[in-house]
Amino acid sequence: MSALLLLVPFVAVVLLYLLPKRARAAGLWIAFGILALEAAAAVLDRFATIDVGLLAPLEKLLGFHLTTDGLSGLLILCTGLVGMAALLVARRTLESVNERFLFANLVLVAVVGINGIAMVRDLFSLYIFVEVTAVATFILIAAGRGDHVFEGAWKYIFLSVVASVLMLTSLGFFLLSTDGITLDAARTGLAANAPLAWIAMALFLCGLFVKGAMVPFHGWLADAYTAAPAPVSVFMAGIVTKASGIFALLRIAQSTLGGATPGREILLVVGAVTIVVGAFLALTQTNFKRMLAYSSISQMGYIVLALGGDLHLGILAAGLHFFNHAISKSQLFANAAAIERQLGTLDMDEMGGLGARMPVTAGTTAVASLSIAGLPPLAGFWSKLLIVLALWNAKEYAFAAVAILASLVTLAYFLSLQRKVFFGKPVDKWSGAREASAGLLVPAVALALITIALGVGFPFALRILLGGGA
Amino acid sequence: MTPLVLILAIAVPAAAGLLVLLLPSRRAPWAPAVLAALACAFELALAVYAFPHDFAFAWSWMGFGAEFALKLSRFSAFILLGIATFSFLVTAYSAVSMAKAPSSRRFHAWVLFTVALSAGAVLADNLILFLVFWEGLLLTLFAMIAAGKTRPFATAVKAFVIVGLTDLALMFGVMLTGHLAGTLSMSAIRLPLDGLGAVAFLLLMIGAMGKAGAMPFHSWIPDAAIDAPLPFMALLPGSLEKLLGIYFLARISLDLFVLTPESWVSPVLMGIGAATILLAVLMALVQKDYKKLLAYHAISQVGYMILGIGTALPVGIVGGLFHMVNNAIYKSSLFLSAGAVEKETGTTDLHELGGLGRSMPITTVCFLIAAASISGVPPFNGFFSKELVYDGALERGWIFYAIALAGSFFTAASFLKLGHAAFFGKQTDAKRTVKEAPWPMLLPMIVLAGLCIVFGVANSLPLERLIQPVLGTAMEGAHGGTFAGFPTNMMLVGLTAGVLALAVANHAFGVHRTGKGIGAVDHIHHAPGLSSVYKLQATGALDPYRMLGGVVGMASKGLYALDRAIDWVYSGLAAQSALAASWVLRKAHNGNVNRYVLWALAGAAAVVLAVLAVVGGGR
Repeated sequence: MSALLLLVPFVAVVLLYLLPKRARAAGLWIAFGILALEAAAAVLDRFATIDVGLLAPLEKLLGFHLTTDGLSGLLILCTGLVGMAALLVARRTLESVNERFLFANLVLVAVVGINGIAMVRDLFSLYIFVEVTAVATFILIAAGRGDHVFEGAWKYIFLSVVASVLMLTSLGFFLLSTDGITLDAARTGLAANAPLAWIAMALFLCGLFVKGAMVPFHGWLADAYTAAPAPVSVFMAGIVTKASGIFALLRIAQSTLGGATPGREILLVVGAVTIVVGAFLALTQTNFKRMLAYSSISQMGYIVLALGGDLHLGILAAGLHFFNHAISKSQLFANAAAIERQLGTLDMDEMGGLGARMPVTAGTTAVASLSIAGLPPLAGFWSKLLIVLALWNAKEYAFAAVAILASLVTLAYFLSLQRKVFFGKPVDKWSGAREASAGLLVPAVALALITIALGVGFPFALRILLGGGA
Repeated sequence: MTPLVLILAIAVPAAAGLLVLLLPSRRAPWAPAVLAALACAFELALAVYAFPHDFAFAWSWMGFGAEFALKLSRFSAFILLGIATFSFLVTAYSAVSMAKAPSSRRFHAWVLFTVALSAGAVLADNLILFLVFWEGLLLTLFAMIAAGKTRPFATAVKAFVIVGLTDLALMFGVMLTGHLAGTLSMSAIRLPLDGLGAVAFLLLMIGAMGKAGAMPFHSWIPDAAIDAPLPFMALLPGSLEKLLGIYFLARISLDLFVLTPESWVSPVLMGIGAATILLAVLMALVQKDYKKLLAYHAISQVGYMILGIGTALPVGIVGGLFHMVNNAIYKSSLFLSAGAVEKETGTTDLHELGGLGRSMPITTVCFLIAAASISGVPPFNGFFSKELVYDGALERGWIFYAIALAGSFFTAASFLKLGHAAFFGKQTDAKRTVKEAPWPMLLPMIVLAGLCIVFGVANSLPLERLIQPVLGTAMEGAHGGTFAGFPTNMMLVGLTAGVLALAVANHAFGVHRTGKGIGAVDHIHHAPGLSSVYKLQATGALDPYRMLGGVVGMASKGLYALDRAIDWVYSGLAAQSALAASWVLRKAHNGNVNRYVLWALAGAAAVVLAVLAVVGGGR
């Protein structure tokens, strides 16, 4: 299928380096344009038609099979939207042209990896593209200026190595126990209930749990998100972790596990533990980005939990929550960037009463937080509702209860965030703080509008999704 | 084109309202009023255009039976016409009276939203959609009272609580009705009035009465009369709320349920109607403030409408609906005259007014026509609708008729007093310089007063064109198919004339006794027995809202203890243990990468073992 989705960003990276030094400022906009095209292609669902016959030999050359379906479209759309937001944030927060140029480059490299994850249908290629994404991300974190960037990148690399070992071992076991490592072959192997195939599957899942920061594989995430420069945390939280960990799990749950025991149970238990631990960890954080990081862990737990529910509804619910969380969390990190730029700190204990000084930021933060906490009529409400329904239909009542109760903790930590940062008495120290510049507000407002529009128009959106056979 | 007309009727005022809010306020202070009047004029044109048609429009909306369904029937076309007419007249009037008020922009925006929501409520053909528009009106009501001048917030809260409670009943009623009927489409529902059906009817009825301001859901109206802007009083309690409330009451009595004279619900309705007439008019009688007196009459007149509909006889229902139209006409004219007086003299206290007839002749004439109309003097419109209601009431029981007739006596007496005190008698010195109100304020009053005459003399026009088609087939065979023309029951007419004469005599006696117009009913006010009731009322002890407040206060003290206990479970126990859990987990995250790797490996081992246990065990 569409090798263009891999080729265009890849060629763009090469071409960007051919640009004269003076024209490097344009690099960011070129990357922006490519991501906009991606998002547009996903919305218009034109993957099938943009393929030209000429590319078929190339595909053969690359040696793996690519297909697109509704799920790939979802990931590609999220990548486009989040990537554009991250680039806009980078434009306002990275100081030098060179830094911005580097950022745009690495984003494109990561996009090659993510697009690959969206389209591959075998476990080895999946591993390769996950690694491509990870390598680009290490550099993105480490290229920052803060004091802790090394620590953040280091932990990410270290845990990623653990993941690589798990996944490579798993691939070996798969080769031993099944005929081939395509998702379908793995499915057949698992159906035969061969213990070795199941061990292989378990190891691969664990590798993806590290990538997707499921508890107890999550140690790297909070440091990496917090240490990363503002646009990098937007991009990472919005799409990288989700694509390389959660989306891969989604794909495997859909194509390989197919609701088989004990894969479903593992997803349920890991998802539920992650939701609860992540939410409680978020509750008492005092650093804005760190709280968002733990909230991310908890929310990704919801997606994995949904995969353990009723198969079709579960995939639909997981996909929707994937989209909602990608939109809202990247928006919250963009808001964090706006606040950090105004105050120079992210310590929430020092903040207060910023709502009066930064009304737009306060408003969009409220929209995103309430959506993630699952308040109607915002988009997050619907995806959580579907998750609970998916669990209910699968008769997993206890897990449905966990999903509902954890929403309360979610609401609690987001309310505490709102209270500490935006409400309360204005702190004199920040009397000079003003609303963020338009460049930072545009992505936040645009993403908040998507959240509201999807929430209000959800009944229609669902009809389209169901009608489209997603 | 068909659905477009219906949607435009809702969308145009709503859009104009948004536009008013967005307009720069400094540049063009007159713009909100002009825009509001234009939008209402457009609404009126739409209503006239759509009137002869039967439009319907449905758009599936939420799935579970909640469709976005609009339907223009004979009845809703006629109410829509009323809404458009009154909102147009009031906005034209308020363009002058509110122009300089600092809250003019907000006021006009809320007027426009009110018009949009009212149009939506009338056109809605789905109970859920209806509820959405209806609840929206609660918000605009709150906002409009709060936009008033002195200390309106407490009044706004009071209105919000009372109307909100009745809306809650309405909500339950809608749920129950939908459950019983198996559909939410209003034109498809037709339920018998027995068992649960009667409960559903009563719940919906409370909602309708809360909107119409019948007793015991009335007590916010007199407070609002003092605090809220007058165009608001003319528009909402004066006309729109009555139109909507009685529209819905008539819809549920005629369409959604089968109300028959045999049903026990019918006497309940008539009882509420009769009680509202008498109690409110007794309060109105002794008021010494122009606006407050009118406000109590706004309550009392609803009683006639409910009484008429409650008879469940064609003559009573036609009379009730006709009275709704007439009341909206003369009541808004009266409120507008109060507004003119307030604008020119700066007060509505009857003690300080007097002799305005010479300086404000046009206002005085309009007032006289409207007052004669509300008192039921032939040949004005109020006379004809009241006679129809009397006719129905007498057929159902003489006691209802007697109470309604007594209500007429007090109505006439209180308007004699009001007119005498404000427009005749001695002119107070301080008010020498009073001028006639400006033309844009006079015109709506003149139009409305003209309508009082037209709808009276040519009553076949409203009756045969607007009201009787609503009843459809029920009209056949009764009274030769029409109620138009002069009343046929001469005994009733004679008794009405007698009561009016009695009121004049009473007035003459009162004036002779105290020497002042304002003291014309003092002998009733201070009559033994009645005076103590009035005293209680003056202290607010008879206000159901206050009583509710008392009960709620007691209950809240009792519940407070319980609440503290529950609160401790949440904010004490739950929150503390959550924080403790959070703290323990945080301590575990010390940033040591070795520890994180160890966790990951241990987790992987656990997952693999779990898988092996299941798969291996299965073998």
